[in-house]
Amino acid sequence: MNNPAIVSIRNLTKNYGEKEVLKGINLEITPGQIIGYIGPNGAGKSTTVKILCGLISEFRGEIEIFGKDLRKQTLEIKKQVGYIPENAVLYESLTPMEFMEFIGEMRSLNPEQTRKKAEALMSIFEMKPNINQRISTFSKGMRQKVLICSSLLHNPDLIFMDEPLSGLDANSVIMVKEMLTHLARDGKTIFYSSHLMDVVEKISDRIILIDQGTVIADGSFSDLNKLTNDANLEKMFTRLTGNTNHEEKAEAFINAFEK
Amino acid sequence: MIRFILSLFVPFRWFIEKMGADYNQFIRILQLKLTLDNRRVKSFSNKPQNDQKNALIWQSLTQALLGIFFGIFLSIIKTPFTFYYFSHLFIMIMMAMSIISEFTNILFDTSENAIIQPLPVKGNTISLARNAHVFIYLTMIAFSLSIVSIIVAFVKFGTLSGLIFIFTIFMNVLFTLFFANILYLGIFRLASGEKLKNLLMYFQVFIAILFMAGYQIGIRLVDKSNIMNMELPVHWYTFLVPPAFFSGFIEGLSGTNWDVTHLIFIAEALVIPVVAIYITGKYLTPVFNRKLADLEQGDRASKVKAESTGKSILYRVMSSVFVHEKDEKAAFSLMWKMTGRERLFKQTLLPSYGYFVIMMLLPFLSNPGKLSKISESDNYLFILYFSVFIVATLPRAMLIGTNRNAAWIFKSIPLETPAGFFKGSIKAAFSKFFIPFYIVVVIGVCITWGIRILPDAFIAFLVIYLFALVTYYIQNPIFPFASDKSAAQAGGDTIKSFLFLIAGAGFAFLHKFLIHWFPFANLILIPVYAGLIYYVNRVMVYQKIRWKVVDRVNVY
Repeated sequence: MNNPAIVSIRNLTKNYGEKEVLKGINLEITPGQIIGYIGPNGAGKSTTVKILCGLISEFRGEIEIFGKDLRKQTLEIKKQVGYIPENAVLYESLTPMEFMEFIGEMRSLNPEQTRKKAEALMSIFEMKPNINQRISTFSKGMRQKVLICSSLLHNPDLIFMDEPLSGLDANSVIMVKEMLTHLARDGKTIFYSSHLMDVVEKISDRIILIDQGTVIADGSFSDLNKLTNDANLEKMFTRLTGNTNHEEKAEAFINAFEK
Repeated sequence: MIRFILSLFVPFRWFIEKMGADYNQFIRILQLKLTLDNRRVKSFSNKPQNDQKNALIWQSLTQALLGIFFGIFLSIIKTPFTFYYFSHLFIMIMMAMSIISEFTNILFDTSENAIIQPLPVKGNTISLARNAHVFIYLTMIAFSLSIVSIIVAFVKFGTLSGLIFIFTIFMNVLFTLFFANILYLGIFRLASGEKLKNLLMYFQVFIAILFMAGYQIGIRLVDKSNIMNMELPVHWYTFLVPPAFFSGFIEGLSGTNWDVTHLIFIAEALVIPVVAIYITGKYLTPVFNRKLADLEQGDRASKVKAESTGKSILYRVMSSVFVHEKDEKAAFSLMWKMTGRERLFKQTLLPSYGYFVIMMLLPFLSNPGKLSKISESDNYLFILYFSVFIVATLPRAMLIGTNRNAAWIFKSIPLETPAGFFKGSIKAAFSKFFIPFYIVVVIGVCITWGIRILPDAFIAFLVIYLFALVTYYIQNPIFPFASDKSAAQAGGDTIKSFLFLIAGAGFAFLHKFLIHWFPFANLILIPVYAGLIYYVNRVMVYQKIRWKVVDRVNVY
């Protein structure tokens, strides 16, 4: 782990009105990793991802991505970042091709290359025949595939995904898993949130578990497993985020990793 | 209110059970539908969003208000037949209009089907509940509208006549229910899925224009005809007009006129609604349910058609004239496509074309002689400048749509300022929806006045373009099609449109005055307006549309 950090977060806090959603998150992410970001509903996963992508610009704390300050050099960072939001909301009256052409143009990509890339990506997902049909006629999984394709158009070095697997069929889940591993092998960094514990367990190089706005576990699955002896991630998850005295356990975890 | 309506069904329990429905389930479904109605925002209402409670009562009150005007107007009619004829006609027209305007909401809302259909409920119960729901809906409209007319009828024609009037209103509702069923089935037959929704949208636009035209022409007719002593003659075809059945029925029974004419009316008023409701229940409802289930399935995969990827000549010309920067170009092509497809956008914008045509034609309707003299005047300036009317609705129409949650995309791409996107958007909408229309107007004006008006037409065009840009840039910078109708309507549409007309007239006067005073005024006006457009597009838009402001009004 002697690579310089691609993302470094220091003391990130975020309030929605009175409610403190993130209570001081500290993370260093190195390139070429797949990071699974897990936590119970309402833990602050989506908020973290939205802040990192520049969707939410009001937060406290320091964030550096590619060594650049997220507050000051947002545009340069966005050029190298891909984002897949949680709910596949797209302009329904457009076709995938039109949507991707638009994104390509806004990102100043070559139109001809955008089209080629869009076709290539869509055919990987077996959606080439649908490329000129309106998104409004698509199922949830198909929309998710369009989102994944459109976030990869500009060949980003860092990809944030909020529940990228939701709504996908089993084949597509396998495909996305493969895709993520390939991308990581090419040196890309993937930061994704998910509720599918078995998937996270298998493909992540590093797992970050947050609950109520704080990181309560951080490390590869085998690291984590050594400490807890849980049979799988799911058991560990429920034990750590369940209502049974999880705070002591969280303390234990964080202490263990500070060494 | 809902509990009261439901309690009215208690005496009919035997009837409902006889029709093969489960009474308790029937009442529950009805209660669900009415509760949903009660919380629904009407498509034609101007109320702010948070005022959604008791929508049913509000709706009745507004309709009662409309009924007051009509009741007062009717009260001057002396003969009962004519009075009842117009009352029933009014009720029928208003019911038909409400059905159409609330079409998708009330009758095509299949959202509760997803809840009800998986439950163990018989088909009979569901369809009976639907018809009962529509019946309640129409009865409420009918009585809210005619409450004043009923009072007038009691005072003018006596208690018996009034009571019979109330009875005929029920019959009228039954008949309209049948009529509505026929209407939907006809439309279902014409199209399905996306196509059907588009067809309904155009239908609603057409009705909106018709309403405006009827109102304008009606107002002009009132003072001319002597409606007070009007007697409707009974021809053979009068027997085919539904309102005539009911008014003939009232006149026949209350006056105990038992001649052949009245007997025919009485028979018609009694038999036709009953037969109609029988046909509805027996034959139409099953077909209707089947079609509705089809509608819910959406377009079948085989029917989904690919969008053409080619670009029209108009698009190519306009984009080369209007946009040169990269982000503007992307926005332009995106909006060019979307404005052609977003139904709510079209539903908001398209009626204004009809209004414009009606406004231009009305003076000639009341005085046809004017047409021959018009080419001698220089009123063409006003026709040109009044085209600004379209532009009054355009910027707001661009806000309305269901894409509230799609705006995240603009935050995830590296955009230094959102201004370019907004510039491209208004340019696309303007060049797609205003310029072709204006070309038609200019051609019409040229035919009457000759091509010498072309420089003036160009100046008026610059002014209108300026109007479009400024209104779009100063309104809330919400990303296109992301705001719901009621929220976007806060500005008071009608008032705004008239302010635009007044402003248009002001600019037209200025123009007229300058040419009279100075023959080469055009040479001054063109650079002045062009300079203003340049300022707005180069300076003002970047001051107005900044991320800070945009972030405040959009959701990511």
